[in-house]
Amino acid sequence: MITPQEEYSLIDKILAGDRQQYSILVDGYKSYAFTIAFKILGNRPEAEEAAQDAFIKAFQYLKNFNRQAKFSTWLYRIVFNTAISYKRKSKQTFQSIENTIVEYSDRADKQMERDDKQLYVGKAMDSLNETDRLAIQLFYIKEFSLEEVAETMGQNMNTLKVRIHRARLRLADELKKILKEEALTL
Amino acid sequence: MNKLSLEKDELLLRYLDSELNKEDRLQIEAELEASELLRSRLDELKAVNLFLLQKASIESPSKNFTQKVMSGLDAKLTTSFSPRQGLFLLLGTIVASGIALALLSAGVFDAPTGPLVLDSPLKNNWFNIPSISIPFNGKILINGILILNLGLALVLLDRTILKPIFQKRVSAEL
Repeated sequence: MITPQEEYSLIDKILAGDRQQYSILVDGYKSYAFTIAFKILGNRPEAEEAAQDAFIKAFQYLKNFNRQAKFSTWLYRIVFNTAISYKRKSKQTFQSIENTIVEYSDRADKQMERDDKQLYVGKAMDSLNETDRLAIQLFYIKEFSLEEVAETMGQNMNTLKVRIHRARLRLADELKKILKEEALTL
Repeated sequence: MNKLSLEKDELLLRYLDSELNKEDRLQIEAELEASELLRSRLDELKAVNLFLLQKASIESPSKNFTQKVMSGLDAKLTTSFSPRQGLFLLLGTIVASGIALALLSAGVFDAPTGPLVLDSPLKNNWFNIPSISIPFNGKILINGILILNLGLALVLLDRTILKPIFQKRVSAEL
């Protein structure tokens, strides 16, 4: 894990012309960057392209990084914006319910009741809007603090907290509704 | 089954996230013991929590990800010119166009222009090689150059000024 001081020292070297040092920053943050892009795009090749593009943009704008925020937060914001613009170009939607069903039917090693509940929660996720879905997905990645998620998405922290809470409640409501409907069809 | 108030729902979420102080935690636990509705709602929230925790994972990109990024940096450096260079080029284009326009307005090219006559250097008393005559109108030529300059200026304006501004604005909005 790179410390903030090591990070600033690396950035100084990169800005002085030692471009190869940038690979250390890329290695340090590529997984999180790719995860953010993947959560938005839902497609590995496109997410990888978006994440790479974001790192290249971050390199070009490195001289504008004012060090008031963490480098990771600043980088993730670029990743987020890049992935969003990719999504707008391709006009994709999030993973559909059909794919979710296929994913769960392949797992034979979980209890049936728990599998069903998870399937239904997955179905309930489709009822959320994209912003709420992304906020909740990033929030649950423990490596991201609420503050980091808020800064990455360009949202106020308190607003995001309320948003995530409401989304979780909506998911719980949707789950109840879906389970009721399933019970009626039996 | 009665629906819980939003306040109660929020309290259950905070209990699930271990955000309550000791006093509030003991109170909600007592309420949970007494109310099946509350317990049922907590179960629903736990199911959602479990699903989201299990789905939350850090994804790994391909093994050559870093290599591709570093190659991308090189590609960017060799193919693009800096905004500063683009701005100078744009200013140069505007100045050149301005000079041409000024000359046109001053009527420098208004005098009738005839064809360009190119005499062959081999012309002598024995061989009569005809001169080549190319029709030439200075005004049309300058107008053509001005139009090309205008096109170039628009392209430069887009690449060096407008595109970066819009990209910055999109980044700020998002």
